[in-house]
Amino acid sequence: MAYKITENCRGCQACVRPCPTQAISGERHEVHQIDPQRCIECGTCGRVCPYEAVLTSQGRLAQRVKKMDWLKPVIDQKSCVSCALCITICPVSCLALEYIQGNSAGRGYPVLAQPNACIACGFCADICPVEAISMQPKKKG
Amino acid sequence: MGCGVPQAIDRLLMSRALQYTKLIRKQDNMSGFIGKVLWVDLDNHLFTEEMIPEKIYQDYLSGMGLAAHLLYEHIPPGADPLGPENVLGFVSGLLTGTPSLFSGRWMAVAKSPLTGTWGEANCGGYFSLAIKKCGYDGIFFTGSSPKPVYLSVEPGGPILLDAEDLWGSDTLTTEKLLRERHGSQRQPGVVCIGPAGERRSLIAGISHDFGRMAARSGLGAVMGSKNLKAVVLTGAKPIPVADSQAMKALSRKPAKLTRFQIPLSSRMMAFAGKFLRNPWFKFRWDGILFTGVLRKWGTVGLNQTSIEWGDAPIKNWAGTRKNFSLDQSKQITPQAISALEQNKYHCLACPLGCGATIRGEGDNQTHHRPEYETTLAFTGLVLNQDYQLVVEINDMLNRAGMDSISAGGTVAAAIEWYQDGLLTDADTGGLALNWGDGEAILALVKAMIAREGIGDLLADGSKRAAQRLKIEDRKAGIAAGGSELAFHDSRLDPGFGLHAGVEPAPGRHTSGAFIYYTLFRLWTRLKDLPKPPLITNKKRQFLPSAETIHQAVTISKFTNFYNALGICFFGIYLGIDRLPLFEWTDAATGWSRTPEEYLQIGHRIQTLRQLFNIKQGVAPKDIKVSWRALGIPPQNSGPNQGNQVDYPAMRRMYWDQIGWDPESGYPTHETLIELGLEGRVAGWEEKYGL
Repeated sequence: MAYKITENCRGCQACVRPCPTQAISGERHEVHQIDPQRCIECGTCGRVCPYEAVLTSQGRLAQRVKKMDWLKPVIDQKSCVSCALCITICPVSCLALEYIQGNSAGRGYPVLAQPNACIACGFCADICPVEAISMQPKKKG
Repeated sequence: MGCGVPQAIDRLLMSRALQYTKLIRKQDNMSGFIGKVLWVDLDNHLFTEEMIPEKIYQDYLSGMGLAAHLLYEHIPPGADPLGPENVLGFVSGLLTGTPSLFSGRWMAVAKSPLTGTWGEANCGGYFSLAIKKCGYDGIFFTGSSPKPVYLSVEPGGPILLDAEDLWGSDTLTTEKLLRERHGSQRQPGVVCIGPAGERRSLIAGISHDFGRMAARSGLGAVMGSKNLKAVVLTGAKPIPVADSQAMKALSRKPAKLTRFQIPLSSRMMAFAGKFLRNPWFKFRWDGILFTGVLRKWGTVGLNQTSIEWGDAPIKNWAGTRKNFSLDQSKQITPQAISALEQNKYHCLACPLGCGATIRGEGDNQTHHRPEYETTLAFTGLVLNQDYQLVVEINDMLNRAGMDSISAGGTVAAAIEWYQDGLLTDADTGGLALNWGDGEAILALVKAMIAREGIGDLLADGSKRAAQRLKIEDRKAGIAAGGSELAFHDSRLDPGFGLHAGVEPAPGRHTSGAFIYYTLFRLWTRLKDLPKPPLITNKKRQFLPSAETIHQAVTISKFTNFYNALGICFFGIYLGIDRLPLFEWTDAATGWSRTPEEYLQIGHRIQTLRQLFNIKQGVAPKDIKVSWRALGIPPQNSGPNQGNQVDYPAMRRMYWDQIGWDPESGYPTHETLIELGLEGRVAGWEEKYGL
């Protein structure tokens, strides 16, 4: 399954660069295509499209979201078990392990090391086996 | 850092030369597993995606089961393990990449050049999910490339790239370079061989994440024989799961239990060994005690416990704890080693984190801390007391890509041969091999890696070296089927000796032991299995009994099951009443099966692996376990004094109970029909009587 671009596409190319697997191609001002082999259904194309031209894998219209309103992973270190599933599944490597000495005996815990790189796909929250990650709006101010 | 211009040109040229075939579209109803494997033909640089029908997953799951299904069909009888007809596979687990715990193991599989049997090497790290993120459950290599190459799989597809510049580099340098080259957007999963694999040392392994090793069965040599230096995976696909929320709910309990803090100090661990050694009885241990030790100190937490208990063989299995006293082992106490640790290391999906990194002495390099097996191989087994030497050798072997269990067992055998006059100064080039001589041990390991002088003889393991030196079997290295045994004494737990010989991949310590039945608590979930009494007479386990062997057979089936899921066996120490493997599998796939049905899948995989060996011309009865490991003759002192494993009787009973002929070890016709394997042996009647 993969996302699809509809005839509403104006070829503005807003979706091309943010796509983490370079799945979108097309000439400027022409309708673009998504390579289903490359598409990982992260939804980034839909979140950035200004023309309501992206359908999800289920055929629903993807909604544009302002980047400042994209949800970000918030990690509860008390629940986290340092299993690094979130870091490994992240398609843009925006999470990283942070090592805390002392009581935690040098175990690494994930942190959002590159918040600007985060594409709000939510893969990290989906895979977390102990529900230590929730996708939340950025705090104002 | 992106690719340089030469690499980009090379990539373009090679991609044009490649043909890329897609057989069938992905089926979208797959859950937990992907439903597709990648075949790489190294002879012709061709790629083929093969869709795997759901029926195969229902019958074999993924991981080890999928590998058994494919390797059995694709490796021709009598294949040269180092020839192009051998197939090298990398498989993920069915639960890998789902919201489950302990599900990050991957396996390398091929016909083993070391044993001539089914070969497998199991490893943690992060590569397992890297395979699935590329949209495959496994990647399989056939043929042999005319020049060194490495495979890169990116979202756009697979490509073989020139590896001439990497050939000769150690594993750490290779991985660092490949990560820089392919990690511009996300960290790739990398496996590679070092010089040992390139030189086709039969004890070479495959390295991942800067020194985690898929070490056993000599599969690094298979990779080297194919001129395949590395595999680099940068996929990004998430893994489909039938019921993610159910999986998460199931993960809560084991996550909580792994936080258990064991109330033992480092000094008490040596005392624990004495406590276990002295009484005439043994306890029904709760494995959560072991997970507590693993979380606190890692596998090395058991160093002194094992020596004092009689689990760790000393002086090439001929000594006892008196040859390696508490004073001599003081550098490998849990406290001494943890003082050198930098950080804990968790494999993918692991809440336990039994690994660690340490800083080497005199350099700025960070190493993986030597695990229990490596530590005991280069301390008690060879009577070395210097832990820094262990760290140094561990790093050398990791860089070279050589199995530390087989290397340690071979070094110990060489020292004994030298002491007994079977190996002379003329053979060693003047290198005197004495017990506990760190400099000589280091020199020997270096020579093995470089395949120079005596090292060339030893680089293929102790069995080949003994054959070339015409050393009789009784004095050969301590091994099963040619694979050096890991350092758990079958004269303490005869299950280690039994499983080392009857398993299709001989010489593996993780395949089974009697203690695993206790630790895994299988009776809590599987019908008709006996709950062991709280205490039993230690000597009773040496008497072959139907009950004990039934437990061993169950462990074999269960091991194949969890290896198909990609589960770490340390996690199962929690017990299967606390680690919901059956329920996770149901939730991931959307199936609804009983534990007994899953165990039958394990039985099917085990039997297919046995058929693999028979197809390759290996008679199961020809797989020998070293007499010394079985207590022939028995030791006359020490914790295991007088203990002898009645291996022939136990093997006979094991074969009978698992449904294989008790005389030959060939699966019976009834078993093949019960497991739906009769079609696999069409035309075998005349040859094997099946």
